[in-house]
Amino acid sequence: MTDVWARAALWLGLALVATVLSIRLRVATALSEIVVGTVAQLLIGVYVGQALLGTSEAWVTFLSGTGAILLTFLAGAELDPTIFRTKWKESLGIGFVSFLVPFLGCAAFAAYILHWTPHASWLAGVALSTTSVAVVYAVMLELGLNSTDFGKALLAACFVTDLGTVLALGLIFAPFTLRTVTFVGVGTAAMVVLPWLTPRFFRVFGGRPSELEAKFLLLVLFGLGALATWADSEAVLPAYLVGMVLAGTVGKDHALIRRLRTVTFGLLTPFYFIRAGSFVSVPALVAAPVSVLGLLAAKLVAKSIGVWPMARLFRYPRTEAAYTTLLMSTGLTFGSISALFGLTHKIITQTQYSILIATVIGSAVVPTLVANAFFIPRYLLPQPGQDQPGSADAALDGGNS
Amino acid sequence: MTQQPEGVRAPGMLPKRILVGFDGSTFAEHAFEMALTLAALSGARLGIVSVATLPEPPGSVETKATIEAATEHYEAIFETLRRRTEDRGLTLETRILVGHPAEQIIRLAADTHVDLVVVGYRGRSRIREWVFGSVSRRIVNHAPCSVLVVRSQ
Repeated sequence: MTDVWARAALWLGLALVATVLSIRLRVATALSEIVVGTVAQLLIGVYVGQALLGTSEAWVTFLSGTGAILLTFLAGAELDPTIFRTKWKESLGIGFVSFLVPFLGCAAFAAYILHWTPHASWLAGVALSTTSVAVVYAVMLELGLNSTDFGKALLAACFVTDLGTVLALGLIFAPFTLRTVTFVGVGTAAMVVLPWLTPRFFRVFGGRPSELEAKFLLLVLFGLGALATWADSEAVLPAYLVGMVLAGTVGKDHALIRRLRTVTFGLLTPFYFIRAGSFVSVPALVAAPVSVLGLLAAKLVAKSIGVWPMARLFRYPRTEAAYTTLLMSTGLTFGSISALFGLTHKIITQTQYSILIATVIGSAVVPTLVANAFFIPRYLLPQPGQDQPGSADAALDGGNS
Repeated sequence: MTQQPEGVRAPGMLPKRILVGFDGSTFAEHAFEMALTLAALSGARLGIVSVATLPEPPGSVETKATIEAATEHYEAIFETLRRRTEDRGLTLETRILVGHPAEQIIRLAADTHVDLVVVGYRGRSRIREWVFGSVSRRIVNHAPCSVLVVRSQ
């Protein structure tokens, strides 16, 4: 066991370094962990040996996979079902197009320009079709748009886009055998039963120090994850769906969500993101910067082709439509999950994986910078003495948050 | 008589609406004390705003966690400050926003037509100021009203 503890200490040490860096530099922890994983593997590979991190060890793979499953579940549980119900037309329209056009566009770019294999091209399409709900949510809050119809519809649309991504990831590469049918059938039944069963079960047995709720959720997630991988699909697909269907019940239990976050961020996701970063080949990136820029441009163009007309169709003014388009071009978590799925299932090579991860990181940063620099709705920039429409409630008007 | 733009009061007039930018630091505490004294003297309405700053780019799940943690943290502090304000016969209006502190404070000041923003001065190193910018400096440069930057001794 000494090896395991020593290695675990090394991973947690790297996680701690990544967290300190993320705090000091004010960047997302996931981004910091990916970069630390890449640099650590590069340095350790040069000075100590490639195997020191033990990225293929079963327990590392388990912790990393559990991190992805729980993170995806928590992301799905953030959905607001009420908003989705009231804005379902716009959300479905913008969200679906926001997934489909970049998926097809980036896959075509990878296939015809970069000459990747068909499977690798599809995977590139999936990885770059995502939208970062977190980025959109944060910007909506910053601008006070989260309570407007525009903001609500956009947020719900992001969930639809990511749902498209996880469905594509879970089903495109599945072989469509009897196992696939079983997975889809059992999964669908679970999605129907869980919203009814879970709150009742928790009401009777929950609220005790034995953490029954966490055990129940992990049982469901591991069980459906096992079924998904048995069917050659991906465990994050049922995790995201379970999160979405339980968003109205479990998702509103803040104490439970907080406890799950503690385990997820404190132990599991560092293994996931550092491992994801450790597979990135820096020499491959240095050799192919044009591919990264090309894929990033393909994503931005495809999102523009898809989202901008749709936003205009729903009568968004030009600036808001452009702003919406750029915000929906962001992506980090699901992009990296898709890329790692491709690498571990040998759909893409390490070079292609490295290119995809770099593109995904670029897509998390570049569109927001462009949006805030050029397309921020003008009324959000206050001028001295000018009344600002669409602004947040004011502290001095008696509105307490 | 010359008409003043909204939010800019004539010299010598006491402020009627005071907004404190509060980040939980000792410097902000000093700024709050100064604002409280000014509000007690002038009978102004007193508001306080704290801003939850998110990492860039905001990460999945981490974003909500950051906002919840910041909200809980500031609400606990606001409760103490509210009691101190009530001891002086005033009421305190509170607000927690998300984003860049300077931008959010400026926006709120403009929206609510406050005529004095009070902030603390952290006195950061030049390198940190160059990398992250100075919140108080940005507020001084862009606020639609007078700004009082309180330096701690």
